[in-house]
Amino acid sequence: MATNAANWNPGKITDKYPGVPYEEKLRLFAEVKADARYEDYLYGCYECGICVSACPSARFYDYSPRVIAQTMAREDVNRMYEILVEDIWNCAQCFSCVRCPRQNSPGGLVTLIREIAVRNGIKETRDVLQGYSRVIYKVMLKGNQVSPDMLQPDFFPDWGPWVRSFQGNMNLWRQAIPVDSLRGVTDAAWKTDDQTLRELYTIWFETGNIDLIAEIDEGLYELLLDVMEEALEDWA
Amino acid sequence: MSNNKVVIIGGGPAGLEAARTVSDLGYAAVLIEKRQRLGGTPDEEQYAKLTHHFRDAAEAMDEMVAAASGPGVQVLTHTQVTSVEGEAGNFRLTVQNGGAPQTLEAGALILATGFKHFDPGRETQYYNYYTYPDVITIADLEGMLKAHKVVRLSNGETPKRVAFIQCVGSRDRQIGNEYCSKVCCGIASKQAIEIRQLLPDTQVFIFYIDMRMYGYWENELYWPAQEQYKVNYVKGLASEILAKGDRLLIRGEDTTMSRPMEVLVDLVVLSVGMEPSDGTREMARLLGLTQNKYGYIAAGGPGGLDPVATSRPGVFVVGAAAGPADMDDSIATAGLAAARAVALLRRQA
Repeated sequence: MATNAANWNPGKITDKYPGVPYEEKLRLFAEVKADARYEDYLYGCYECGICVSACPSARFYDYSPRVIAQTMAREDVNRMYEILVEDIWNCAQCFSCVRCPRQNSPGGLVTLIREIAVRNGIKETRDVLQGYSRVIYKVMLKGNQVSPDMLQPDFFPDWGPWVRSFQGNMNLWRQAIPVDSLRGVTDAAWKTDDQTLRELYTIWFETGNIDLIAEIDEGLYELLLDVMEEALEDWA
Repeated sequence: MSNNKVVIIGGGPAGLEAARTVSDLGYAAVLIEKRQRLGGTPDEEQYAKLTHHFRDAAEAMDEMVAAASGPGVQVLTHTQVTSVEGEAGNFRLTVQNGGAPQTLEAGALILATGFKHFDPGRETQYYNYYTYPDVITIADLEGMLKAHKVVRLSNGETPKRVAFIQCVGSRDRQIGNEYCSKVCCGIASKQAIEIRQLLPDTQVFIFYIDMRMYGYWENELYWPAQEQYKVNYVKGLASEILAKGDRLLIRGEDTTMSRPMEVLVDLVVLSVGMEPSDGTREMARLLGLTQNKYGYIAAGGPGGLDPVATSRPGVFVVGAAAGPADMDDSIATAGLAAARAVALLRRQA
């Protein structure tokens, strides 16, 4: 059949998840919007990109907080579903994006959407989180995710001129910090104290989050379980 | 001995305000309008609401006409100026109003001859305006909003999706209008809000290059349109509109989302810009006034700081005859020109 104005459609607008019924996407979208925090997290977006320029994750990962706000503001249900199964896990939840001049919180939206993705047991959420086993591992065992060794002088000039010299002498500087939880630590933001880790581990057991990890990555689950149970026993 | 009268040419918002102010300052004003009615383009084009403050346009124009109808203002409707002689302090005008030509004397002239809407078919068939009945302009939409009935002209049905396309006839070197028409972003946002109020189930898109919501238009129009009325602003213009079934397919780029964009809509509204009106061009020629490359009357004076000065002493320009202007601009320049004209008469008295 010849292409004409009536049938022409190069099909470039792709719904990445055509197998998921639109009604299901709409239901999840409505669940996000119904959250009590939603109206404080999103007013409107004029796509200025301040959130992206402030966002560490946007530097390290394929992620844009602007697209999160923009998609919700435009009520783009298909794109929201894509965000729900993909984008949200690239956010470090540092909330640098709250400098938004419209007072939006893209990071807050990510928090909501993550919770909904997990609560709804989305298959892709499990798949995506599998790739984040190392992050989970780091958070679980170190208590935090972003560490000094990620500090790169050219990425964030607004952090000041000292960043370059800090980066070059990171070990020395960290050794010099007269705080036990920071001294010599470069692969974690700080050494989390035993009490905090014990509470964190307890929370993960009590809330059932550790069981979710079992579904995502059994190897990681076993590893964490060993370390956490042993630690809890030691502390007890 | 100079003449103590100010003649104002054009009975739209700027002309009405100029006449009212000249009269309030204690000088005689003559207001000349070629149409039968005063009120200018807002009246002629049946505007529903003014962009600033959502004022009912007819009501607002009636107020302005009433304010300019005191004993100090002589109104000549259905009248055209056919020649102007003399200089600042002593102008002699010939006017025609159907009967024999009349002569008028004036110490100063104020030109308030305004703009016209860009015609999307002026040079090329922009977005098939003359082909598809469901492609209309913001001026056409004003009429529909005034009648509280926004429909697809092809079948009389309520549109489920409406798309505005900004900068039609503005910011375009190809057609020679490189300037921004200044008001269309506000008008489209105002109309988008009105559509959402009238038809809550209808989706509204605005495709734009930059949204120019200067001053209070940001908080009065743009933010409410987005936040309360969920109007969908997409940065990226449509390259073309195609008929698809009985709907219209808009092709463009969703630039900030980095993806091509195709949206099926029921009604397309072209945000046409401003061009100098025929009257503005004619009066510029008649008075020998310098025009800018777009045909507007060159204003600003030698130092650029006098927005109502023309190239001819004693002749002042107000409102959209000097370039794209919103209602506030028109009224502000009208007041300034009235003051300047009266000052001139007082100096020469």
